[in-house]
Amino acid sequence: MTLDSVSFARRPSDGGVPARRAVTRWAWRLLRREWRQQSLVLALIAIAVAVTTVGVGVSTNTPLSPYVGFGSATDLATFSNYGASTTAKIASWHQRYGATDVIENQSVTIPGSVATFDLRSQNPEGPYGRPLLSLVTGHFPTRANETAVTSGVASDFNVKVGSSWRELGVTRKVVGIVENPKNLLDEFALVLPGQVKVANEVTVLFDAGRVGKTSLGSNVITPASVAQSNVLNPQTISIVLVTMAMLLIGLVAIAGFTVLAQRRLRSIGMLGALGATDEHIKLVVRANGFFVGLVGALSGFVVGFAAWLAYRPTLESSAHHVIGLFQLPWIVIIVAVVLAVAAAFFASTRPARAMTRISVVSALAGRPAPPKQLRRSAVPGIIFAVAAFFLLGAAGASGGNGSGVGEVALGFVALTVAVVLLSPFLLTVLDRLSRRAPLAIRMATRDLARYRARSGSALGAISVGVLIAMVVIIASAARFGNVLDYAGPNVSSTQLLIYTPNGPYGPGGPGNASKGGGASSESMTTMARDAHDIAAALGSNKFVKLETTSATLQHAAPGRSYSGPLYVATPQLLEAFGISESSIKPTTEILSMRPGFAGITKMQIVYGNYFANGGPNGAWPCPTSDCLANPSMQEISALPAGTSAPNTVITEYAVHRLRLARATSGWFVETTKPLSAAQLTGARATAAADGLSIESKSTIPTSATIIDWATLVGIMLALGVLAMTIGLIRSETAGDLRILAATGASSRTRRSLTAATAGALALVGAVVGTAAAYLAMIGFSRTNALDGLSSLASVPMANLMAILIAMPAVAAIVGWLAAWREPKGMSGLVIQ
Amino acid sequence: MSMLELRNVSKVYGGGTTEVDAISDIDLAVDRGSLVAIMGPSGSGKSTLLTIAGTLEQPTTGDVMINGSNVVGMSRNDKARLRRRTIGYVFQDFNLLAGLTAVENVSLPLELDGISMRKARAQGMSALEELGLVDRAESYPDQLSGGERQRVAIARAVVGERSLLLADEPSGALDSVNGEAVMRMILSACHGGVAALVVTHDAKLASWADRVVFLRDGKAVDETLPPQQPEDLLSNDTSSPSES
Repeated sequence: MTLDSVSFARRPSDGGVPARRAVTRWAWRLLRREWRQQSLVLALIAIAVAVTTVGVGVSTNTPLSPYVGFGSATDLATFSNYGASTTAKIASWHQRYGATDVIENQSVTIPGSVATFDLRSQNPEGPYGRPLLSLVTGHFPTRANETAVTSGVASDFNVKVGSSWRELGVTRKVVGIVENPKNLLDEFALVLPGQVKVANEVTVLFDAGRVGKTSLGSNVITPASVAQSNVLNPQTISIVLVTMAMLLIGLVAIAGFTVLAQRRLRSIGMLGALGATDEHIKLVVRANGFFVGLVGALSGFVVGFAAWLAYRPTLESSAHHVIGLFQLPWIVIIVAVVLAVAAAFFASTRPARAMTRISVVSALAGRPAPPKQLRRSAVPGIIFAVAAFFLLGAAGASGGNGSGVGEVALGFVALTVAVVLLSPFLLTVLDRLSRRAPLAIRMATRDLARYRARSGSALGAISVGVLIAMVVIIASAARFGNVLDYAGPNVSSTQLLIYTPNGPYGPGGPGNASKGGGASSESMTTMARDAHDIAAALGSNKFVKLETTSATLQHAAPGRSYSGPLYVATPQLLEAFGISESSIKPTTEILSMRPGFAGITKMQIVYGNYFANGGPNGAWPCPTSDCLANPSMQEISALPAGTSAPNTVITEYAVHRLRLARATSGWFVETTKPLSAAQLTGARATAAADGLSIESKSTIPTSATIIDWATLVGIMLALGVLAMTIGLIRSETAGDLRILAATGASSRTRRSLTAATAGALALVGAVVGTAAAYLAMIGFSRTNALDGLSSLASVPMANLMAILIAMPAVAAIVGWLAAWREPKGMSGLVIQ
Repeated sequence: MSMLELRNVSKVYGGGTTEVDAISDIDLAVDRGSLVAIMGPSGSGKSTLLTIAGTLEQPTTGDVMINGSNVVGMSRNDKARLRRRTIGYVFQDFNLLAGLTAVENVSLPLELDGISMRKARAQGMSALEELGLVDRAESYPDQLSGGERQRVAIARAVVGERSLLLADEPSGALDSVNGEAVMRMILSACHGGVAALVVTHDAKLASWADRVVFLRDGKAVDETLPPQQPEDLLSNDTSSPSES
């Protein structure tokens, strides 16, 4: 058995490529054999990539792409007419850049309708515009008296191929049906170039190479300039979301790969005994991570692409444009696949390093390395948390004009890193705190602290999940809790507002005082009768006339100002809401149901020609003409809460004192049962007949809905991570469990141990995630002029309790219930 | 020059009150072509001796010479290279790598040493052929019987230019027929110039050795030459073979 061909000296000391290939092959074989043990991470990655593929395909293809008008050109210029300067410019571009494609449009109204179509001259064989034109039937026009129309135009004018069609004084023969495959809602009649006499839009497509947009004029756009003005597009959002998802998956995968490496300890020990270096051993674990990521990502892509193929026809019809088979944002998908592979690979590097720290002898005996008594410092995590605090502060100071997006992104990245770094440290703290707790809790927290490789990453994942949910909850609560810029639901499902043509602010609303006037008394009588009829048809139990004046409220301080209509607190309105006049102080000028409203300082009632005279000029108190500083305000909780409902009203006392003119601006209707779609349709039709309009419950999610959903998603995310990792974490201490069983511990002890592990992880994750979210929001709000720190005073207590108390309790209960079964083969293993 | 030489080797585990002397002042030499058996009761330090001889563990004191080179103080990578090229292990529970076929298991040490897959495979097939397993070359470990697995393990331990074979209870999980067959193969390897150090509880199998070293409480208490049977020295050993 001699090796005659390759001498020792010539062989690389680390085995070189053959050695790496051999261990990689073994890793691949192990994945094929033991894929079920890794099905959790595989499934997570596959689902994430599949959802990304379909989601990003739908989100980017649903709206019309901002790039569709370019055809195959790189530059697009638009002109509002075809004058001499336009002609000269096009000629100059033609000379400088070669081919140009000119598309002229003349907007034509369809008789009897407010809709229009375009009479379009475009060369079907043009160098850049071909993707914007396709033939459905017939042929493109080849003569001046020919046209090809879209199916919509054909239907509107009742023409078909072969028909004669007279439009704009010219009779043309319809020779084909055409469409713009990039926009199926684009209705036009195609004629030969030169046939559009009065173009009101001229589009020039050309390729100016690398010439800057500004050097060509402000009416020239390029895909790059469109992209710059559209930073928060579906692609960017998708990449951010998929990055967050992969981060969470990576944290879960660390725990999974660690346990898997543990299970392969003897084989890895044998590999070491055979002469594998530390690098070879690391490569086995890392290659496994890489393959898991690759297989998961590719499977996810295949599933996602199949789903995309199935859904594409439906999407085409709802998005109104042709969507190509492969018309997907491939960059995003490639990024998702790369992130998936990277997440799995990097998740495996820590277990890979840990494997090399176990001696070959211990590994051969299947003995894991004893947990190191690490005194991991919290300093790096604190440094990242502080950095996040100041980055978010910088974002808040930017004033929300979009310039702080980078700081927000960096701030949250730093915060996530801080949470991940601090999680293992906090497990040690938890262990110390629970030294006097009952046995099961003590053992659970000690094991969590001892085996931080798995529990730390799981805690990080839970904390990040809670962090995301809590940021949404706190931000929503802060935004919707703002008393001034009230942003709650508009009205409830039993309420309806009927407006006169002047809308909720009335004929003399804010900034509109000089217009004055309103509907004639005759038409107002008709409208009032119609409104009454609508209310009667709906079976209303409350019908209140709403009156407005030229007055509104203003907050003479930085930050948000008052928003919403300011109706008059007429006796009828007060009575409708059960408010007795005696409950209102005689000198009160403003009534509001908004909690805390009465305590706001620097408020003023502005009216009359205040806005016409220049509006706010920074002076406080404001000039007495057209302005009343520090009005007397009183909170009345009986007023309705909707943003469009009369939640804040001006009293009759103030109306008289300020000599405000009043006018009817609408009616408030309330029914006993939620209004049905049919009732709303009927009300809308009746209202439209006399120029009235109605407002019913908006489909925009209310603050409560957003907060509740965020709470639910946060809890589900955290519990999902727990469900996925708790088994892995407990398997680490399976030996202890066996010893416990052998020493006579009952199933109650086993259950308590699992329940305590799940509950402790959930509790610490909830606390860390919530604390990190408040850190982020305080960092942002303390410098934010619009909202400020006071906006955080609105604490969603019920949701906080759900996350901080109910979630850990549910985790503990589920852990208790799930641990009813004795681990497989426990008794035999005890004997061994 | 002996293939393996242990000079004054001691190994202490733990520290302070938990300090345990696993082996003390062991001197041992194994020449090329010779088979040395190590016997002793449980906890006598047999396995520790084997792992130190195989560079898997570092002695607390003393020198370990393999083919004339002192391995104490060698880097981890140098020791790994030494194991790839010089030392072969056989364990009681075979320790074949799941996921690799018999021939891939045998050729793995060669591939780890930088030999191309094709050449390593040829060498692996040759080793299996010598042990009569060529028809089982493409079988996975879980498709092999216990005896076959141990023969594959021996093939893996002697493939290439290995000159030191270390076996820890190689017949412990086999019946007597297979156990003898395994010992015969190890002896055959020794006849080919390999130095072998075998830990065993089985006095009958130890009788195949050129020399038997007895350990008790980490010390070499006796050394004998076959055909003298060492049952009398084992009278105090009541442990089962698997506890070694």
